[in-house]
Amino acid sequence: MTHPGFEAQLDAYLDGELATVDASELEVHLAQCPECARFRQERLELRAAIRARVPAFEAPAALRERVRAAVGAAVRGRAPRRFTAWGVWRPLAIAASLAVVAVGSWRLALQRTAGEALADDVLGSHIRSLMPGHLTDVLSSDQHTVKPWFNGKLDFSPPVYDFAGRGYPLIGGRLDYVDGRGVAALVYGRRQHLINVFLWPAARRAAAAPSTRTRQGYHLLHWATADYTYWAVSDLGLPELGEFAGLLRQADSAAGAPK
Amino acid sequence: MTELARFEAVVLPHLDAAYTLARYLTRSEHDAEDVVQDACLRALKYFDGFRGEEGTSARAWLLAIVRNTAFSARRRQRPDADVLEFDEAQHSGAVADEHPEAALLRSAAKESLGHALDRLAPEFREVIVLRELEGLSYKEISDVAGVPVGTVMSRLSRARARLQQALRGEEEG
Repeated sequence: MTHPGFEAQLDAYLDGELATVDASELEVHLAQCPECARFRQERLELRAAIRARVPAFEAPAALRERVRAAVGAAVRGRAPRRFTAWGVWRPLAIAASLAVVAVGSWRLALQRTAGEALADDVLGSHIRSLMPGHLTDVLSSDQHTVKPWFNGKLDFSPPVYDFAGRGYPLIGGRLDYVDGRGVAALVYGRRQHLINVFLWPAARRAAAAPSTRTRQGYHLLHWATADYTYWAVSDLGLPELGEFAGLLRQADSAAGAPK
Repeated sequence: MTELARFEAVVLPHLDAAYTLARYLTRSEHDAEDVVQDACLRALKYFDGFRGEEGTSARAWLLAIVRNTAFSARRRQRPDADVLEFDEAQHSGAVADEHPEAALLRSAAKESLGHALDRLAPEFREVIVLRELEGLSYKEISDVAGVPVGTVMSRLSRARARLQQALRGEEEG
């Protein structure tokens, strides 16, 4: 392509893995060299294509059970029997899981329409926030500045954390409008990516485990605590967005959110 | 907390990541499940050595075991893979040294992105999966794959060059 010696360095730069000195040198070069600038553009397109089309997988529930059983057996000092025990139970387990699917799916189908409309709403807000000048109303990496800023603007006081130490610095906050109500939007960063966290008081006080959706190259994570409904949206890879959501959930439970 | 509970708390959250890596390394749902199960049993054996200190990512630790399990399973199935020395330049399919016309001809084969990833040598496929899907840092990838960070950097760049070529082929087609 161009400047062959540079390609690996450019890749490392785009991955945020280049030392600051080297990175600033490279930025100077990028500004002057149209070929390298085009290389960068193509790499960004490739990254988007990989994120959109090369899926991460979920471990099948049966595998999860198999692993737990094998590990449990090994810990108890018995030789792990890989397939024998499973062989007997398999037809029963499959029948049981089919029943769960059959019962679960119609219920899900009813909930889906509402959930998907909400996901569209959240994604729309995320994309709008990326347009110039829309990201934050209060720009601060200090959680003690961001949290009080919401006072009097919302009918709740959203929990705000900073995960700079874990590589997800707080960037700021803003007011947003989702699901027919004012909500808090908190903005976090991860390398060159942005994460929008939308939250508002939970309507049904029931915790829900995270569920994921992928649309237009963005990942959406939704979960609920007893107090708040959460949506996190980003173009970040799902594993990292999951890790981030894990940090938030951890911080929430550590803060012992009032019941 | 019992050892079992501690193990489950450390390892099970990364089962999706483990399965994803195994799926791309084995290219088979069934083999991937076996690899993940074997890897978890191996992880249990080494678990005493893993203290989960600050800075040691449980995910990278488990993925390293999955990776090694997948590679040794592959060697068992295809003993010749062990004999043929892995050659960075030969296996990368990188176009850097190639004549532009040859590159053009190759892209005319119109390989899809997913197909191109499947056809990369596993040493190149794994860096893409670890970086783009699992979001590991170069240092973590270097720990998982057992190669220096500089090698991670050049493998990633070559693998991307190959995928880029497939993507361009798709667009032209």
